[in-house]
Amino acid sequence: MTANKQEILAAFSEGLKKFDLDSSAVSARIEDDGILTLEGSTKTWQTAVDIGHMAAKLPGVHNVVSDLTAPGAVPLKRKDSAPYRAMGVVDKADVVIIGGGVTGCAIARQLTQYRVNILLLEKEEDLCEGSSKANNGMVHSGYDSKPASLKARLNVRGNAQYTKWSQQLGFKFNRTGSFVCGFGEEDRAAIEGLYENGVTNGVPGIEIISGNRAREMEPGLSDSVQFALWTPSAGYAEPYEVTLALAENAVDNGARFRLGCEVVDILTKDGRVQGVVTTQGVIPCDCVINAAGLYADEIAEMAGDRFYSIHPRRGALVIFDKENKGKIRTFSGVAPNNYTKGGGPEETPEGTLLWGPSALEVPDKEDRDVDREDMEFILEKGMRLTKGIDPRSVITYFSGNRAATYSEDFVIQNSRKIKGFIHVAGIQSPGFASAPAIAELVESLYLGQNPDTPINTAFNPIRKPEPAFRDCTQEERDRLIAENPAYGRVVCRCETVTEAEILRAVHGKIPARTMDAVKRRTRAGMGRCQSGFCGSRVLELLAREWKIDPSEVTLKGKGSEILVRPSRNTGRNAE
Amino acid sequence: MNTLSYDIAVIGGGPAGLAAAVKARELGMDRILLVERDYELGGILQQCIHDGFGLLRFKKQLSGCQYAQKFIDLVAEGGIDVLCDTMVLELTDDRRIYAVSAQEGLLEIRAQAVILAMGCRERTRSQVSIMGSRPAGVLTAGSVQRYINMEGYLPGKKAVILGSGDIGLIMARRMTLEGIEVEGVYEVMSSLGGLRRNKVQCLDDYGISLHLSTTVTKIHGNKRVEAVTVALVGSDGKPVRETERVIPCDLLVLSVGLIPENELSRKAGVQLHPVTRGPVVDDTMMTSIPGVFAAGNVVAVFDLVDYVSRSGEIAAQGAVDFIRRQSARGNMVDTVAGSNVGFVLPQRVNADCGGKEINLYLRVRKPMKDVRAEIVCNGKILKSTRYGVANPPEMIALRFVPDGPLDGPLTVDVR
Repeated sequence: MTANKQEILAAFSEGLKKFDLDSSAVSARIEDDGILTLEGSTKTWQTAVDIGHMAAKLPGVHNVVSDLTAPGAVPLKRKDSAPYRAMGVVDKADVVIIGGGVTGCAIARQLTQYRVNILLLEKEEDLCEGSSKANNGMVHSGYDSKPASLKARLNVRGNAQYTKWSQQLGFKFNRTGSFVCGFGEEDRAAIEGLYENGVTNGVPGIEIISGNRAREMEPGLSDSVQFALWTPSAGYAEPYEVTLALAENAVDNGARFRLGCEVVDILTKDGRVQGVVTTQGVIPCDCVINAAGLYADEIAEMAGDRFYSIHPRRGALVIFDKENKGKIRTFSGVAPNNYTKGGGPEETPEGTLLWGPSALEVPDKEDRDVDREDMEFILEKGMRLTKGIDPRSVITYFSGNRAATYSEDFVIQNSRKIKGFIHVAGIQSPGFASAPAIAELVESLYLGQNPDTPINTAFNPIRKPEPAFRDCTQEERDRLIAENPAYGRVVCRCETVTEAEILRAVHGKIPARTMDAVKRRTRAGMGRCQSGFCGSRVLELLAREWKIDPSEVTLKGKGSEILVRPSRNTGRNAE
Repeated sequence: MNTLSYDIAVIGGGPAGLAAAVKARELGMDRILLVERDYELGGILQQCIHDGFGLLRFKKQLSGCQYAQKFIDLVAEGGIDVLCDTMVLELTDDRRIYAVSAQEGLLEIRAQAVILAMGCRERTRSQVSIMGSRPAGVLTAGSVQRYINMEGYLPGKKAVILGSGDIGLIMARRMTLEGIEVEGVYEVMSSLGGLRRNKVQCLDDYGISLHLSTTVTKIHGNKRVEAVTVALVGSDGKPVRETERVIPCDLLVLSVGLIPENELSRKAGVQLHPVTRGPVVDDTMMTSIPGVFAAGNVVAVFDLVDYVSRSGEIAAQGAVDFIRRQSARGNMVDTVAGSNVGFVLPQRVNADCGGKEINLYLRVRKPMKDVRAEIVCNGKILKSTRYGVANPPEMIALRFVPDGPLDGPLTVDVR
């Protein structure tokens, strides 16, 4: 370490003065490896977060573990693993990947290039239920990451790989470019700063252009935009589509997935990974890859190697009616002022106008509320950046949490304490853009530990997506229905989703068991009526295909059943 | 792709489409097609097992299903071609219809006249800006109705209803009868959203409380609804924070308004009206595209099914006349929503309509007592009708027969 521990702690105490705290309220200790651990309590969660960030910026501090509490803070949750250990061994694998978001699925697919037994565990009943789901799908160009950070390197590299990824995996990807807009000279310095960052980070084609030129490219941009940072390499994909594509290709190449399978403990012996204890039983393995998103710090704690804390940063997204298609193609944002800039208006590859996300530090990882403040922030920003869009055409809004560490950088490395344990944590923005490069880096970490891993000669990187009825020509539709009449039955009228597509999702490589899982695979229920019409039909199909009672069908896993019980007149075991 | 050819194609087999098809047959049309996306005809009436339908037309209290069945029988007797389980994907401005079904595959349907009768859909939580989480247990009143009445399942144990529209009121009673506890009905406006008779029969008779000027501001619970926050709204229409209270429940039922389903119309280039959100129509229910007519809730949300059927019949008459004469329309005059009137349907009438009955439908802007509805043309009162009360949810239907050509716009005032 460059600074000695006493100096770091002194600097921390100095920094703490700004927060108007009793010195006994917060205590800090530091390890040899520069990991600063905070304990105590603060009056507000935002103060706890600010202290964490202050600490992470001190010279010599590598990362921050914060056990600071504040009203609403939820401490690390550990389930008693004993009953699950008692279930015994239920499976085994060489590599267990924890977390079925875009990162975990990308890693799973990457490792199927080798002859290893890969098992991905996801605690929810479908993939892409956490941070990935509530991502705006932007494949960032890489101007906003701090030069020399892991984020900067992996973002620019990941972005460059997206075209190939989309070709191989068959997901929609639009490389439309992005603007960061300046409205007056007061924004000049921030935008020039981003430009310099971008040049240093190697962002291709980056330039500052006039407002008029920006409007030539994007006529929907507000007339009050005076100049803009333009990065042509930025693009957009649908995160749930990408995640599923990766997972399906991984399945094709031999990886296995267990859904509804929560990890409750990591088994280690003599500093080596031995396996995991899950809510489905014990699974021995040699390597654990921690891609648990918001819960990565809790998984690290289970392995006895927690050296970062995840503090959830909530972001809300707003979706508009498809009638706005074509009004905006390119993302636009405003000059940033904090750890995250939040997002602005964009059009998803599906042709949906999407605004957001907002950015708010919240104490609870499970807090996925959308508040009036989120809406006001998003709509105000969007209206400022664009013109000709009626905010009354909003059809839905939702939120999710970014998995931020206090160092605000990705943590992708071998555990220094436990052999066979790989941290893939702090994957927040631009994690989606970086995913291809994150997967490569994890591959190299794995091979570093297991240099003799044999190549999977049967690896096929190509996944051919099934046709979406809504995108087909009339001739293609005619042919599809001739082959399978279920293509002629439109279940979701707003998004033109057919019964055949829903059955395909239910019986797919990662079978859809919930209403939301069907929605992510087919778009049924994503449209303007928000499943008002098709909800009962999708529910009926799920019950029929899974041979369960309709009252067992859930929105998003156990506890989210749509129906409570049969009515008293049906004769079906009423309460 | 199969190509079919008809005189009249009706899109939608609910009350408007059924009435239109039956009327067209009565008027002697041979080749009529009724296209319905659901498995059976009847539209939303299928799930309306409560009574009160058909008071005007049949002078009887029928259930929605019974009301629909009367027309479905006439469709069958008339030998009208019906395609159920068939979804129209596209309508062109030259009256070609593209539809799909599992049995028929892709269809191209050509018709001399098309009647749009797609009905409406329910507004969702985002359209009334309810904040909070997105758990299971937030359903529109129509969905709840479908689950309980058609699927035979209860979607909750304790419900809060937002919106005092008719379906919300009717579901308050229905859920109570099925053993779901209805905590109350909350209405953001200062007056009832649905018909008075429904408040009496569905809330008062069951002791369910109605909370006016109150709305749901937030939903709690990640997997399933655990509670909702309600608050009084101030005179600016915004919730007052200090009045917020949390009500534990596992079901939030939304009855917050209906929106005409005009995606097909819009794509075909039919002119839509900003207030009704349905096509601008003339007194024959013809839209801005010649030969394309519209009827029922796709034009504007009606409060009585009798009016819906009537509009279907007018559209059928218009379509038949259009086919038979193919003549240019005469001079048209606009109808104007005058004082205290929200909108008037149709938006245009034929000026040379002397001796022919004209049906006008309107909604008042605010609740009023002892009023007169007056139809005025060029300073002359053509018709004047007294009403003891006039409420926005209760549509006023005016029929009159002008004795000569109209020499200017028709203004309707309620004062």
